[in-house]
Amino acid sequence: MTQAMALIDGNNFYAACEQNLNPSLSGRPVVVLSNNDGCIVARSPEARGLGISMGQPYFKVRHELKRLGVVVCSSNYALYGDMSHRLMSLLEKHCEQLEVYSIDEAFAQIHRPHDWDLRPWARQLRALIHQNIGLPIAIGIGSSKVQAKLANHIAKTISIHAGVFDLDITKNQDFWLKTIEIENVWGIGRQMARWCRMKGINTAQQLRDMPSNELHAKFGVRGIRLQNELRGKICLPLKMMPPPKQQTCVSRSFSRPVTSLKELHQVVSSHVIRASEKLRKQKQRAGAITVFTRTSPFSKPFYKQSATTQLNIPSNDTSVLLKASLGLTKQIFQPYHLLIKAGVLMQKLQSTDHLQSSLLDPYNSEDRQRRERLMKTIDKLNEHYGNGTMSWAAGALKQGWEMRHERMSSAMTTQTTRIPIVHS
Amino acid sequence: MSNAGIQDGDLLVVDRSLNPHPGHIVIAVLDGAFTLKRLALKNETLYLEADHPNYPPIELWQYEDVQIWGVAVHSIHHLNSIATSK
Repeated sequence: MTQAMALIDGNNFYAACEQNLNPSLSGRPVVVLSNNDGCIVARSPEARGLGISMGQPYFKVRHELKRLGVVVCSSNYALYGDMSHRLMSLLEKHCEQLEVYSIDEAFAQIHRPHDWDLRPWARQLRALIHQNIGLPIAIGIGSSKVQAKLANHIAKTISIHAGVFDLDITKNQDFWLKTIEIENVWGIGRQMARWCRMKGINTAQQLRDMPSNELHAKFGVRGIRLQNELRGKICLPLKMMPPPKQQTCVSRSFSRPVTSLKELHQVVSSHVIRASEKLRKQKQRAGAITVFTRTSPFSKPFYKQSATTQLNIPSNDTSVLLKASLGLTKQIFQPYHLLIKAGVLMQKLQSTDHLQSSLLDPYNSEDRQRRERLMKTIDKLNEHYGNGTMSWAAGALKQGWEMRHERMSSAMTTQTTRIPIVHS
Repeated sequence: MSNAGIQDGDLLVVDRSLNPHPGHIVIAVLDGAFTLKRLALKNETLYLEADHPNYPPIELWQYEDVQIWGVAVHSIHHLNSIATSK
């Protein structure tokens, strides 16, 4: 029996989530903005039809959007995360093996049936997802991840395929591979794409058929892997367990510039609080912490600075990490700069399963257990009663610099008080 | 929809995986809004019926883009008015 690889992903995922739970938006042009209402990160097909392009800064197109009657949504990650979870758990039930690749993408490995044709399975899955959670998906099938990704691209862009395309069953594979520009091949970097173009390799088909030794000489095993994947040989197997995180970052742009050390402290502290929470959720401790800030890239003079410190004993205790970050914030601060972004990076992460004890440890094991229980209790309270129920005063109660999300829909699927109302 | 045992302010459990059949209480999307109706079949025609006599039944085929969003399977009723009015 032959294995096939499929790439399944949501079409215009964020916009579709918004339309799905708010029927007044269906059939209307909708765009979703990035964090802090920065730029356009998702468009409904209707918005795409109006010629609105991806990645445009909101402030530049604001009036144009209004004139066109486009509905603008701030990003609502509570909603998208929950819809993603629903999508992935349904996919897990209907695929033999699944690797969740991103919030709206998953690779699946499936056996081909006797007649080789997986399209009926794909069409059924698509209909099922649509009925159960109301989201449109596209399914691309091939022999490898790179092929599946290409097939998915074709499924989505050529409407007669109705969201399903199988590269292995089509008779004119070469024809389709010729339509894929070299830059659209998954896993090709900018550097490799430029090199290919210079050599006259412009399409996926040309890359597949070029002499391997040239690719090997220039890009080593990475180039060979990519070419083999294009030829249908699996070099990038399914990753069932996500690898443990190497680092965790929390950073945000502010809704207004921050100029004082006091405010920068508050911002950094609130990020540290969030990042420590993440660490505990990932069951990890940080061995080093970096704090960074910068002004807008358009501001003159441009200023950016970061500082790092090692922790003698790796920790995920908010108080310990806050203390460490305090000194770092002082180091990176300089007056008279309009700072618009700051963040913390937790590094040298290690699992909580093993901890090297140290003579320098200020806590004995009993103290340590008490601290851990305290963190657990705080996390539970925040989980149960909503974020920020219990926090550290360093993070400031009133956060004037909070992210902008002026047009955010409510957490309709994750909070009982926000469940949509239906009239009879 | 008191004739279906659903009171004002109740919490509905909606199962989208069910295929709607006549007799089901359904969440439909009509004119861009959610509405609660009973799906009915009379003389080979599908209707959406409201509880209230003031609202005449809606013949499905007359609407271009009516959508059955899900089937309501349970209704959770608040036992005191404080809970209902939040």
